[in-house]
Amino acid sequence: MKRRTFLQLSGMTAASALLAGCQSKNEKLIPYLIPPDEGVTPGKATYYASSCTACPAGCGIVVRVSEGRAKKIEGNPGHPVNRGRLCARGQAIVQELYHPDRVAQPLKRVGPRGSGGFQKITWAEALGLLTANLKELQRNGPDRLAMMTPQLSGSLSALVDRFMRSYGSPHHLSYELLAPDWLRRATRTSFGQPGLPYYDLAETRYLLSFGADFVESHLSPVQYGNAFGRMRQERDTVRGHFTYVGGRMSLTAASADRWMPVRPGSEGALALGMVRLILAEARYDKAALAAHNLKAELLLDHLKGFDLAKVADLAGLSKESVAEVAREFATTRPSLAMAGEGLAFQTNGRESVRAVHLLNLVTGNLNRSGGVYPAGASDGPEHSFAELPALVEKMRTGGIKLALIKGDLRHSIPPATGFQEALDKVPFIVSFSTLLDDTALHADLILPDHAALESWGDVIPRGGLRQTVYGLIQPVVTPLHDTRQFGDVLLAAASELGGAVSEVLPWKSCRELVRETAGRRLATARGGDFETLWVELLRRGGGFDTGTGPGTTYRWVAAAKLPTPDLPAFAGDEVQFPLHLQLFSSTAFHDGRGAPLPWLQQLPDPMSTVVWDSWIEINPKTAASLGISQGDLVEVTSPRSTLRLPAVLYPGIRPDLVAIPLGQGHKGAGRYAKDRGVNPLELLVLPEGSEQAWNATRVRVTRISGKGDLVTAGHPQGSYRSDLIGI
Amino acid sequence: MKKIWLIMGGGCVGAVMCGALAALYILPLDFRERSPVQPIAFSHVVHAGNNAIPCLYCHRAADQSRLAGIPSVMECRACHLYISQESAEIKKLIGYWDMKTSIPWVRVNTLPDHVYFSHMMHIRAGIDCSSCHGQVAGMERISRTASLKMGWCLGCHRQHRASIDCWTCHI
Repeated sequence: MKRRTFLQLSGMTAASALLAGCQSKNEKLIPYLIPPDEGVTPGKATYYASSCTACPAGCGIVVRVSEGRAKKIEGNPGHPVNRGRLCARGQAIVQELYHPDRVAQPLKRVGPRGSGGFQKITWAEALGLLTANLKELQRNGPDRLAMMTPQLSGSLSALVDRFMRSYGSPHHLSYELLAPDWLRRATRTSFGQPGLPYYDLAETRYLLSFGADFVESHLSPVQYGNAFGRMRQERDTVRGHFTYVGGRMSLTAASADRWMPVRPGSEGALALGMVRLILAEARYDKAALAAHNLKAELLLDHLKGFDLAKVADLAGLSKESVAEVAREFATTRPSLAMAGEGLAFQTNGRESVRAVHLLNLVTGNLNRSGGVYPAGASDGPEHSFAELPALVEKMRTGGIKLALIKGDLRHSIPPATGFQEALDKVPFIVSFSTLLDDTALHADLILPDHAALESWGDVIPRGGLRQTVYGLIQPVVTPLHDTRQFGDVLLAAASELGGAVSEVLPWKSCRELVRETAGRRLATARGGDFETLWVELLRRGGGFDTGTGPGTTYRWVAAAKLPTPDLPAFAGDEVQFPLHLQLFSSTAFHDGRGAPLPWLQQLPDPMSTVVWDSWIEINPKTAASLGISQGDLVEVTSPRSTLRLPAVLYPGIRPDLVAIPLGQGHKGAGRYAKDRGVNPLELLVLPEGSEQAWNATRVRVTRISGKGDLVTAGHPQGSYRSDLIGI
Repeated sequence: MKKIWLIMGGGCVGAVMCGALAALYILPLDFRERSPVQPIAFSHVVHAGNNAIPCLYCHRAADQSRLAGIPSVMECRACHLYISQESAEIKKLIGYWDMKTSIPWVRVNTLPDHVYFSHMMHIRAGIDCSSCHGQVAGMERISRTASLKMGWCLGCHRQHRASIDCWTCHI
């Protein structure tokens, strides 16, 4: 072929390819087979107010629904918790509804457990199986039924409680990996009331956070993220100061004016050192101390062991910086100190939290504007982590015959508790998961729950407010699949069981139950016609002026011991396992429940920009000494287990600390989460007597190869300027 | 000498490329059929013409929404349970109903995603359906009569003194 002919031909090919690319085909125009009852106008959206279920903060949402499809979720501007804002997790729950791997109808296991072999059955058959098992157990030992759920609130919590009590079984485990049991119990010890605090962030002038990542996950992140913005920018003359105490620079820490990379487990001692300094220099609030019946001399005497030099040495910080922060904190009023997961998930966690309580007390920050109040709705489980080992023991010895599980507990309970093996001994397991997650894969019967956007319910938002708020969850679309709401299944089972169980659970459906609960909670406060109130509730997405004024105030319990945090204990020998392991809640997945949603997998981590994977953060100095560079595949070994994952060199972490995000490493949970990343809970060893000590394990890191397959959405060093961070 | 040839050659190539680009811009690259074959030979002549059924009787969302809407299979069937059941095309319709599937009509009039067009605004402004859709009552098979290009939109907007701000349609 001549050169000229070749060029002509290739030119023609290119041109025709180009034209073919531009060519467009006629689309299809598909009408409804049967138009919906409500008379949908095509192209016209309807907006429903509901509540978010992605975490227990209970933000208000507004869902745009077009042609019967949920399209977009935004924050509800009228909701006092989030004031129209919403985080990425809340935005993504529309993908929970349309997830392609949802369990579309009840499934019965065929083949061995965990093999993933399931057979589709009808609801009649499924409910028959469930009630047959329940009835049999009711005859010979009802206490051999175990119910495991996340920490529920509102009417569903009451429903489950009534069901279990009337059935006659005490084994209801309310488990959430990041549940604030630690905070509730510490508050009970110090102030004699269970409960979560409400931090008046927006009005404070000096914020001191001890490992509380309130922008990402702590208690009510949207509420506190918004309040933090107001603390910084809403007032004309004041820009509140923020100091963060914690070994890893989280997104919250990156927003601080000062970062104190404290040695893990020494936060409590640091707080007490500050208390001692404030008392010794007479910078404390005398009126507050008197109001709580405490005496400065006695306190000083108690805190003898926490002198500045010792505390600074324990914390690995300079004496000057500790003293400076303590003085700033005491002299700037109002100021407030938060205690978060970072210090609580140590063996001395509870006492450390109480040390922060004492710090707030001596500086007069309790019960005042810009300080700390008890939150309106704060009751909740306090002992779930003490109940867990008891239940595990019971299951291991064959004391449990039937387990009803809502949520993916197999994934979110550290295997060190022995939960997984013990659960295998339970002869019949029922899962209410919407996806074939780790728990559902090992279940005998799967009764798929509705997605949140198809369900009726209510939620009492956790921790974010001084007053009690009632958030309503209403269905915004007709159910996509042949699924049934968890509460409805329990009610159906109750009516089948008859007797005492059906007597205390007379409702036909969750909708009826929610209506009644709303009526009881709100009608008395308002008076008037209930039907009008109910329509108003549906329209606004909840009752926000519940008539309950600010509740109780904090008062130090006279009999309470003064906080004395011990030295932290760590699992693993210091020589063999030289690094501390910190697990943190990622902005995308919370405790792992966000992992099945592709939008959240795609959401870059704000600090490292990693997507679709797990990673381990290592200080560059440590990495250099171990010969590890960015993106290398490393092996993390704890006394219990070994995991392989890519390394991220992160200057915002102490050299003696490594950190892995929670939430990945599912064995199931749909195509987007399955076999992606690692579950760092496998590494954990729980020291004797500890409950929520997720950060008390030591590890060793070794380089395997240069192929970590790390995918980052941004600059390989992440979104921070590495020259600005250093330890 | 050689240099001149080189410059001339370069100039020619440049001119050809400019021409090609211009042609790409001017040429109608929309190869959609103006009157595609539909799964059922629905006749607007019979419905809108002979029987004079108003447009909004079937396209009932047109004065309330962005979209005009097309009737559901159930609504077609509701009439045709009684009207000309024996016709071959109606049997096709009933066949779709029996199979519980929707009729895959082929879209004729379509605008790209970057244009916001609302039927409601135009109907309420008193624009007749035929200004854009042509004399539908005379079409056995529906066909596109307007170019649906931006210049065509603007011409009408200017004529009726409607807004020609970019943001009117490109929102």
